[in-house]
Amino acid sequence: MDIVRLHPAHIPHVQTCNITNLPENYFAKYYLYHALTWPQLSYVAIDLSKPPTSSNDPPKIVGYVLAKMEEEPVDGIPHGHITSLSVMRTHRRLGLAEKLMRQSQKAMVETFGAKYVSLHVRVSNKAALRLYKDTLQFEVEKVESKYYADGEDAYSMKQDLGFIWDSVKAEEEALGIVDKKPDGTAATADEDLDEGDPVGDEGQSDKKKGKKEVLRKVKVGRALGVSDLVEKVEPAKAAS
Amino acid sequence: MPSQQPLASKEASLFRNVLKFYETKQYKKGLKAAEQILKKNPRHGETLAMKGLLINCQGKTEEAFAIAKEALKQDMKSHVCWHVYGLLYRSQKNFDEAIKAYKMALRFEPESQQILRDLALLQVQMRDYPGYIESRRLMVISKPQIRQNWTGLAIAYHLAGNLTEAENVLTKYEETLKQPPPRSDLENSEAILYKNSIIAEGGNHEKALDHLELISRTALDKVAILEARAEYNLKLGRKEDAEKAYRVLLDRNPEKRDYYAGLEKSLGAEGEERLKIYEELAAQYPRADAPKRIPLDFLEGDAFQAAAERYLDWRLKRAAPSTFTSLKALYSDVAKRECLQQLVEAFLAKTREEAKTVEPPADTEADANTNGDKLTNGGGSNSSTNNTSVLVYTLYYLSQHHDHWRIRNTDTALSYINEALELAPDNADQGELRLGLARILKHAGDVRKAMAEMDNARQQDKSDRYYNTKCSKYMLRNDCNEEAIKTMGLFTRNDVNGPLGDLLEMQCVWYITEDGESYARQGKLGLALKRFHAVYKIFEDWTDDQFDFHSFSLRKGMIRAYVDMVRWEDSLWAHPFFRRAAANAIRIYLLLNDKPHLAHGSLANGTGEEGVDFESLSTADRKKAMKKAKREAQRQEKAAAEAAAKAKDDRRGGEEKRQDDDPLGAKLAQTTEPLEKALVWLKPLLEFSPNFLEGQTAGFEVYMKRKKYLLALKCLLAAHALAPEDPVVHEQIVKFQLFLASKPELSPTVQSIIEETFTLAPADTPLSEFNEQYLQSHADSARAVFSVVRTRQALAAAEAAGQTEADSETLLLAVPAKEGTTLKEAVEGLAVMKEIKGDVAGYAAAARERWPLANIFEAKA
Repeated sequence: MDIVRLHPAHIPHVQTCNITNLPENYFAKYYLYHALTWPQLSYVAIDLSKPPTSSNDPPKIVGYVLAKMEEEPVDGIPHGHITSLSVMRTHRRLGLAEKLMRQSQKAMVETFGAKYVSLHVRVSNKAALRLYKDTLQFEVEKVESKYYADGEDAYSMKQDLGFIWDSVKAEEEALGIVDKKPDGTAATADEDLDEGDPVGDEGQSDKKKGKKEVLRKVKVGRALGVSDLVEKVEPAKAAS
Repeated sequence: MPSQQPLASKEASLFRNVLKFYETKQYKKGLKAAEQILKKNPRHGETLAMKGLLINCQGKTEEAFAIAKEALKQDMKSHVCWHVYGLLYRSQKNFDEAIKAYKMALRFEPESQQILRDLALLQVQMRDYPGYIESRRLMVISKPQIRQNWTGLAIAYHLAGNLTEAENVLTKYEETLKQPPPRSDLENSEAILYKNSIIAEGGNHEKALDHLELISRTALDKVAILEARAEYNLKLGRKEDAEKAYRVLLDRNPEKRDYYAGLEKSLGAEGEERLKIYEELAAQYPRADAPKRIPLDFLEGDAFQAAAERYLDWRLKRAAPSTFTSLKALYSDVAKRECLQQLVEAFLAKTREEAKTVEPPADTEADANTNGDKLTNGGGSNSSTNNTSVLVYTLYYLSQHHDHWRIRNTDTALSYINEALELAPDNADQGELRLGLARILKHAGDVRKAMAEMDNARQQDKSDRYYNTKCSKYMLRNDCNEEAIKTMGLFTRNDVNGPLGDLLEMQCVWYITEDGESYARQGKLGLALKRFHAVYKIFEDWTDDQFDFHSFSLRKGMIRAYVDMVRWEDSLWAHPFFRRAAANAIRIYLLLNDKPHLAHGSLANGTGEEGVDFESLSTADRKKAMKKAKREAQRQEKAAAEAAAKAKDDRRGGEEKRQDDDPLGAKLAQTTEPLEKALVWLKPLLEFSPNFLEGQTAGFEVYMKRKKYLLALKCLLAAHALAPEDPVVHEQIVKFQLFLASKPELSPTVQSIIEETFTLAPADTPLSEFNEQYLQSHADSARAVFSVVRTRQALAAAEAAGQTEADSETLLLAVPAKEGTTLKEAVEGLAVMKEIKGDVAGYAAAARERWPLANIFEAKA
């Protein structure tokens, strides 16, 4: 078993793993969108039982976590979101889900300054619920009614990432890096200097704008609509 | 600068509205406004151009091109007209023509950033790097204050292979900064890491390391920094620093093999030292699999046995179904796999003993813990995993062991799995084990029962899509396409295009391919082609997917991942998913070329048992049969159309389904130019997978039939270089020599090239003897026998057969009993026997001896 960052070449196989295990599926471009916007956050577990005979051999992906940063957090707090996570039935009971999740969470903090991570899970999916609650220590925040395309409700769950911040702080202090205060370079006016149109329509509506009380300002690219990249998967559906 | 008379002010403002409507996708309104202008100025080129563009957006491409051409005729010097012309080509994915049109547009409006950008995007999509560099350079000149313009230019140089210039450009931008960007600037963080990777790619690791230390506090991607630091230090021979870095990395992620390899190298460990490193790490990371598993790769003998015992003990006690999978890679080593078998058998005996001494598990409480849904078992505490589960999964291991293809002892495998099934404590384990049972049956060729057992597994937990997926796959292996799609449909989104539509949209390549292969097996070539073409379409979509990221990634700033993607896309068509579909499609097109009547599924003989033997019919009867087949096809198409219409009615409120005018692929199969169609698949195969043997041998067949002899020879030589002893290569060498012997009319140039390069066939031995010699030196290989038999047929047809050949039928009859023959080969043998009209029943009986469970060899009642 190898746990490594998601590479574009993994995508067809992550896609296979996803559609084998879960009812929420996406076309390749949506995976690419994750891999090219938050390349630090998604991880895959690769089965090594067949030693590759050439570099062209496809990896056998038996588990993955597909993660992102919430682009316009309603609460103004930068946080991560698990778009999808699954492990092949044949590779369960190895702790893969947790190992994948921990890699992703650490990067959420280090690279994007995430304060917490959220996800959705079907209310009927007892196994996943147990995983998130007991093993990964997520908490149920609320029930989102009719979240899934088939009308099922979702638990909206989250986990505070404070425990990772502590270790990251300690590591940075050891390196002598002082955490910068919020520098206030707000989503600057260089929007109009921007090279081109957004990839899609500016799909994000105004109603999402919350108060922005940012503790550690991190520019997550410019606020861009990506509806062209995500339009067919609405609502961005969540982990098992 | 428009070359025509400018519009009057009212029309000019209308024209601005047209542009606005286009940009906001209000095509109808835009068209109306355009028509209004044209009423007064019917020959106004730019308005005509916009009208064409708007009409194209409504899907009327031909009309759009006609109007755009008319627009150009009216106003040859308008950049708008040329730009629109380019946009139309772009929408048709004719990027070469689009680039030409954009370049014309730029000639008349050199300052237009919009056109320049559109051009640049196409250039990188087409990998026209010199052109891309030039466009990017112009963009930097026009807006040097924007960082992404510089980054874009650096990427252009980088992709073109000019690392020095790429680095220079990035440095030049950095020098313009008055003060360093804040640490929170992600774009900056990525750009400096990108620069670092370019320095390293150039091979100067000293410089790369110095630069890395400079940026390591600013860059936010810690993993990238640490990995680079470890790698550079190692390459520079600074082993202590490398070791330190690898240890930090392992502390973050003790499941990445590269880190262990790096650590080993930086420690220069050998012999017993090596094992010690891993033992220490295993103690340090008790939950990690890697430090325990890796030593099994390099240890031998007693040391292997000791380590394997510890590993098995740890894994088997966790009652996880994947223990065998983790060890399978060792099975090419006979000593290791025998050792593993003994160890697991010993473990089993021990566990059985313990089971006797322990009270039978109280079914209620203990089992709650081993509910198979338990996804992880973190702490490694075994106390909660009860003895029965351990026993069950130890038996499971042994069943998989005996089912491994190097061992393949089906009876033993079945007895272990059946014992496990009797003991299995709960539903989840039952599901897991039935899955194992089904797999064993599939390997033994009993696809019917395998499907039934897999359905059994599915029934254990209908909410688990994994079972559902595997069940559908096994249905396809048993050629139950209807059941398969129905089963898949339990989890697909069915409201828009039905289950198949959802699978196509979600690019579920495995299903589409398996469905196609199943139809091919059944002789339903149209449907098979339909599926393989759907795979082709997915690869086209994956190629197109990158387009948006050329601009998107620059805005997001995540440049390294973008470059990774571009490079992956460059080799996309070498993907095994594509190869598999391509090999299938070409095989079908070759078949259709030789026997066009196979396009009508009901006439396919040799595959269906009831099929008419079309080729032995008289001309009149053939006509009759053809007519009947066509009527049958029409009936099926009508039924399919009605079913589709009904399905649409059932989906109230669903989106309008796009009409498929060839749902059964009949038009695909009835093509009048199958060889040309085969080329569509062959070309990417040869271009991107030149080392794929099956591609080269398929190329030989296609080019021979197309009478492109030099291209055929090129494939043959390539195939021979890849696998000189391959049976198909042998067959093709004889085929080519036979062709030359038939004294074809070839141009002197072709003739002389062939004479110079084709030396694979013997000069003085008769071909029949050459063929028999090949048989003698490859007597153990089933595939060699098939090739030799087919070659004999070809020689006989060309009246070049020898005298002393053993009977082909006898040769084939001996194939199933050969030790090395696989089930798949035995199935191919059955087809060969049919081809030579030999003793099919006798062959099936011989194969039944070896594979008593295989459905395909069953005696017909």
